[in-house]
Amino acid sequence: MFLDIDSFDRDSSAIVDDSGVTMTYGDLCDFVNAVKELNLPRSIVFCLCENTAGALAGIVAFQTVKLVPLLLSASIDHMLLENLEHTYTPRYYWIPETMAGTLKGVPVYSAYGYCLIQTEYEIYKVHENLSLLLTTSGSTGSPKLVRYKYGNLESNAKNVAVVFGWTKKEKCIMDLPVQYTMGLNVICSHLIVGAAVLLVKSNLMSPGFWDFIQTNHGTNFTGVPYSYEIMMKLRFTRMSLPDLRTIAQGGGKLTDDMFHTLAEYAAKTGKRFCPTFGTTETSARMSYLPSEMALRKIGSIGKAIPEGELFLLDENGNEMKETEAEGELGYRGPNVTMGYGTVRKDLQKGDEWKGEYHTGDIARRDSEGFYYIVGRKARFLKLFGLRISLDQCERIIKEKYNCECACTGTDRKMTIFVTDHSLKDELPVYLAGKLNLNASAFGTEVIDELPKNESGKIIYTKLK
Amino acid sequence: MSNKELYDNIFAKVFSVDKELLGEEFVFGSVPNWDSVAHLNLITELEDTFGVMLETEDILHYGSYLNGIEILRKSGVEF
Repeated sequence: MFLDIDSFDRDSSAIVDDSGVTMTYGDLCDFVNAVKELNLPRSIVFCLCENTAGALAGIVAFQTVKLVPLLLSASIDHMLLENLEHTYTPRYYWIPETMAGTLKGVPVYSAYGYCLIQTEYEIYKVHENLSLLLTTSGSTGSPKLVRYKYGNLESNAKNVAVVFGWTKKEKCIMDLPVQYTMGLNVICSHLIVGAAVLLVKSNLMSPGFWDFIQTNHGTNFTGVPYSYEIMMKLRFTRMSLPDLRTIAQGGGKLTDDMFHTLAEYAAKTGKRFCPTFGTTETSARMSYLPSEMALRKIGSIGKAIPEGELFLLDENGNEMKETEAEGELGYRGPNVTMGYGTVRKDLQKGDEWKGEYHTGDIARRDSEGFYYIVGRKARFLKLFGLRISLDQCERIIKEKYNCECACTGTDRKMTIFVTDHSLKDELPVYLAGKLNLNASAFGTEVIDELPKNESGKIIYTKLK
Repeated sequence: MSNKELYDNIFAKVFSVDKELLGEEFVFGSVPNWDSVAHLNLITELEDTFGVMLETEDILHYGSYLNGIEILRKSGVEF
């Protein structure tokens, strides 16, 4: 079975969610066996995920029986879902029972609040190594997918569990979405050691979240920078959280201030603060900073995880051999995925990246070999921990409004430059809706004309 | 501007709604875009505008337009 979940004590907790469902490892194995008995043909299954036991159990089962899930949010934009369905014609949907009425198709199985629906689409051939599909940028507009191969999730789970030292006694607090690459990695790195996953649907700002993690004795928490902003607002460093031993971070860069505050908090309270760095294209984690280094290496993403290798590339794409250097961050390891997919026939493609991925981030390596993210080569922002392509955002806006626009900004806020004043209030709301993000992270600036060079390309450095 | 007006302006801005909708029924759970992001923005705006620092419990239980007024009163804001 996926992650050898059948090797653990049947009675120990595997998944506890805050809608009231608990699954032991025995329950999870029984569920996987029940799905096995359906003898489903290898095909694509769209999983509309919520942070519930049913959604996660489905993912575990599909990995075991080699169906290929595309993980999407259950609250996905309707148009985007339609678009993806037309492009990838899934044979099955795995969806919350409450949504079953909204889909055409025949229900073939249901358990734990989820339902497997067979559609009318024909089965088609996909590459034998293709294991999973995730969207880039978490939830962005156009359906560009990352193609995972068998072994990606497993190796990242194993190596991340090793660096964190996870044992079956851990109970991870998981409020990041299961369809989010780092969320999935946190989950898998716990299931692979027989630990429990506390899946939380209620948000960090609600009393329910804190009641749930305290009642269930959560031992570690993984957050994106935004999670820690919320927790600081809640003065969480003053809360009594005796069970919580590790706080981990990924999904974008913390300010040095925040990094320092968290490192100091951990040192003072006998907890661990462990920053990591990853991307969807590398099945999540590439690097890890040990907690004992956090106060000495403020802002660092650490070093490569086991079996992986970080390196830097100069402007000509050559690997930089000197210890102290700055260049584009690259990574080699068994968790590098196979490549992208934008149309159905891409799902027949094999491994294009062959274990090596160039991130588009600019990083610095210090004299002791620790890495720091210092900038970006590619045009993207990380909003709420999600990598959002600025070019793609411009396309989403142009498709709808057929107007001139330029997107730029910081990881706190995207600024949309437009020349048409009448779109000022509408654009942030529209784009936020398409990306399934809160509109407060988007602003508009109206200007007379977009600065362009002679060949008509926008000069982004002039938009500040 | 009175504190009540300031308070209403903050809600209208954070949730992008008309002020007419603010009242008894404006409660977490029934307002679709009242998520953690909106909640953080709301608390930050209120703290900055009224110069108060809310307790963790008050932030977590800041669940409606009306009970928010009571929480702020407790922190010394007059309505």
